[in-house]
Amino acid sequence: MISFELNGKTTEVTVAPDTALLWVVRDHLKLKGSKFGCGMGLCGACSMLIDGESTRTCVLPMAAIQGRKVTTIEGIGTPDMLSTLQSAWVEASVAQCGYCQSGQLVSATALLRKNSNPSDNEIDEAMSGNICRCGTYPNIKKAIKQAAKDLGEDSGQLQMVAYFDPNSIQQEA
Amino acid sequence: MTTSRSSDIALERKGVNTTRRNFLKNMSLVGGGLVVGLPVTGCANVLLPNAHESVLQPNALLQITSDNVVNFYLPRSEMGQGIYTGLTTIVGEELDLDPQQINVINAGLHEDYKNTEFKLQVTGGSNSIRTHFLPLRHLAANARLVIRQAAAQQLNLNLADIQTDNGKIMIKGKALDYGEFADYANTLPFPEDAPLKDKHEFKYIGKDNRRLDGVAKATGTAQFGIDVDFEGLCGAALKRCPIMGGTVKSFNDSDAKGMPGVKSIVKIHNGVAVVADHYYQAKNALPKLKIQWNLPKTLSKFSSDSTAADNGKGLFKTALDSDNATNVFEKGDGLTALKHAHTVISAEYWAPYLAHATMEPMNCTAKLADNRLELWVGCQSPELAKNLAAYYAHVPAENIIIHSTFLGGGFGRRSESDFVAEAAAIARASNLPIKLCWSREDDLQNDSYRPASMARFTVSLNKAGLIDSWTVKRAGPQLMPYAIDNVVDGIMPSILPNSLVDWMSKAGYRLYNSLLVDHTSVEGLYEDYDAPHKSSDHVTADPGLPVGAWRSVGHSYSGFFKESMMDEIAALQNQDSVDFRLKHLKNNPKLANVLKVAAEKAAWNKGLPKGHYQGVAVHASFSSFVAQIAQVSVVNNQLFVHRVVCAIDCGLAINPGIVKAQMESGIIDGLSAALYGEITLQDGVVQQSNYHDYPALRIHESPEIDVVIIDSDEAPTGVGEPGLPPIAAAVANAIFAATGTRLRSLPLKLEG
Repeated sequence: MISFELNGKTTEVTVAPDTALLWVVRDHLKLKGSKFGCGMGLCGACSMLIDGESTRTCVLPMAAIQGRKVTTIEGIGTPDMLSTLQSAWVEASVAQCGYCQSGQLVSATALLRKNSNPSDNEIDEAMSGNICRCGTYPNIKKAIKQAAKDLGEDSGQLQMVAYFDPNSIQQEA
Repeated sequence: MTTSRSSDIALERKGVNTTRRNFLKNMSLVGGGLVVGLPVTGCANVLLPNAHESVLQPNALLQITSDNVVNFYLPRSEMGQGIYTGLTTIVGEELDLDPQQINVINAGLHEDYKNTEFKLQVTGGSNSIRTHFLPLRHLAANARLVIRQAAAQQLNLNLADIQTDNGKIMIKGKALDYGEFADYANTLPFPEDAPLKDKHEFKYIGKDNRRLDGVAKATGTAQFGIDVDFEGLCGAALKRCPIMGGTVKSFNDSDAKGMPGVKSIVKIHNGVAVVADHYYQAKNALPKLKIQWNLPKTLSKFSSDSTAADNGKGLFKTALDSDNATNVFEKGDGLTALKHAHTVISAEYWAPYLAHATMEPMNCTAKLADNRLELWVGCQSPELAKNLAAYYAHVPAENIIIHSTFLGGGFGRRSESDFVAEAAAIARASNLPIKLCWSREDDLQNDSYRPASMARFTVSLNKAGLIDSWTVKRAGPQLMPYAIDNVVDGIMPSILPNSLVDWMSKAGYRLYNSLLVDHTSVEGLYEDYDAPHKSSDHVTADPGLPVGAWRSVGHSYSGFFKESMMDEIAALQNQDSVDFRLKHLKNNPKLANVLKVAAEKAAWNKGLPKGHYQGVAVHASFSSFVAQIAQVSVVNNQLFVHRVVCAIDCGLAINPGIVKAQMESGIIDGLSAALYGEITLQDGVVQQSNYHDYPALRIHESPEIDVVIIDSDEAPTGVGEPGLPPIAAAVANAIFAATGTRLRSLPLKLEG
């Protein structure tokens, strides 16, 4: 049994220790916001915060998760309670197809946690592990800068969810 | 959706016509409300997919329920292009209702959702806004009128006194929800000729409103096909032949059977599938399968790097040199013009096979029970998917239900239904509800690729240095024969034996290719510029790798070919690239205009930073006109694309923010192809497997992009694809300006 903290809640799973965290979260724990994109840690669609760092989880074995804090997109904000970054994202209409966006938001959240006023180069550096085939990069930069500004004016929060109830999730089809 | 009911005004309502009500009840319309469809369509009594339980009606795209919910069934697939927002904005405008308050539902399968140009339920060709603009406005305007009529009659007022404001009927300063009148409106004849708004009356069209799918996509709650889940759903993975088109000769699954979670191993038409409790378990078991393959004969012989005359690029070159070409377009007398030419310029260009590499790998969920197949899939052509699934699941097409999801990228890939056919076949063979998921490796190695193409231009100039004749011949595979092969299984009547359908499927390629030229093979090679004499030929050169529509289709290579050629001619004549183009755009004023606007915005060849150079390209596609100017530098043989200026004329921009985003998207996608994109084969096996050897542009490589949208009152045209075709040539032309080296092959390689 492997025990870890998922979106504020202690979670225990019994799976093969080499199972990737992504599949445990998606298939066993039924949180679908984190996506499968490449299976090699190349595209960033599966990114989650592990102890605050944006991490590729499609290649991260459960054995490495024991006792650690995992935050998925569901643990950052919800449709009714958007984080400041998510609000900026919605305002800038960043998403196109949307598939990579959870990973992008996770990486951008990790960036803003460490750097409250990132430069263009710092955004490039922090976000270069996340591919977007729709090319939403210009709007990603715009949203990150807006969120940094809003957070700087003390009018927001990087993470709205202290404890995430998986039963609260509702998918929009 | 606002559901508050306003009842503080005393309403003297007339009764509802009971005969009409009973009629509706007999049609299972239980909950009341107004349900309307496009008046032009037929009226089969088929329940709407995704309809609310209490409001069901044929021909319906729009519902206004008596509890004031406005549902819009989105007939096109949202794959990033913004149609979820765009079409809803059009509806909201004429309904006089903020689009943010409309409940948008990804529609299932229904006659009313057909693409009016393709006569099929297909999303593609950048035509969603263009084809739906007027029909949806009429639909919504008529719906608003009938609500007003209902209000007038129920409240005993003149129609002229019934005004609307954002989903409310306004009377004497009071606001009543549309829903209050939906029941009564249902008893009235649906109007057909409500006047449409003038442009100056638009509240939502033309404004930079937020995307309607933005919140769902920023919170991980938007449902993609891969997210579909239910109790008992198994994961499936499929091992296919390493060379596309191969079939299973024999296989041994004894090692795979014992792998964790494995429930079933089945052979299907193109491989062996493992079904397990979870997808990752099925995927882990695949390498344990031992399979002998029947290899496809033609494709097995092809290697991209071969130097033989009948292999690699030689296959294409030999085709260009042959006399087998079919003429596709002819104007004037080019041959005679060549004889009298003052100058003749000739050049050859190459574009490789490309994969789509959508972020969401192909996937489809299939549940077969009681001769009824339910599919959950995000795809561009649910109607073709249904027919193919019927064939592979051995279920009548009318017994198939499709639940549509968001698409994690399309770019043309999801207009193919191969993955749906596989899911249907696995569900049938395993007798289990399955979600087939492809790996990234499956995706890059089993695509319907952008066809590799080679083109040769011969252009003659007159004494004045103007183009006199423009001749171009293109060699490469054609899309249509493959499209026919892929759909024949699904369109043949079920009374035919499968063996006959199989034969026809195989014959489709041969029959089509020997008789016809698919226009996408040559589109964009010859249309844009003025020339008294023009000729365009096609000759098929086809190694046998399946090909399909890739964002902007033929324009994806013809934009590069034509605009590089134009630049070569201008350079050889010592003419400015912008001026030379303008001299040949007298009959193409919109393309000339976007070129002028882009040149001004980019300060063409004025005051560039040291070491920076510009390149220009223009291209018309999907009824839109685009000019792009790329600003690059080359340092130590390394290319940097700093800035791209883009001007587009797409008629009326429904949502300028989305138009801008689609230009950025086309440019960035086009840069991925221009700088990196290349699928190569070795003995028929695709060599690329994941994003490390088939890279996509990342944020730090993405240039600054400035988009100018031409202000226009004309009807809207396409934006999903037209932003892509010019960019490769704009960059290549800038590289020529920087280095004097003309790169005639994609991807652009400075060292080569």
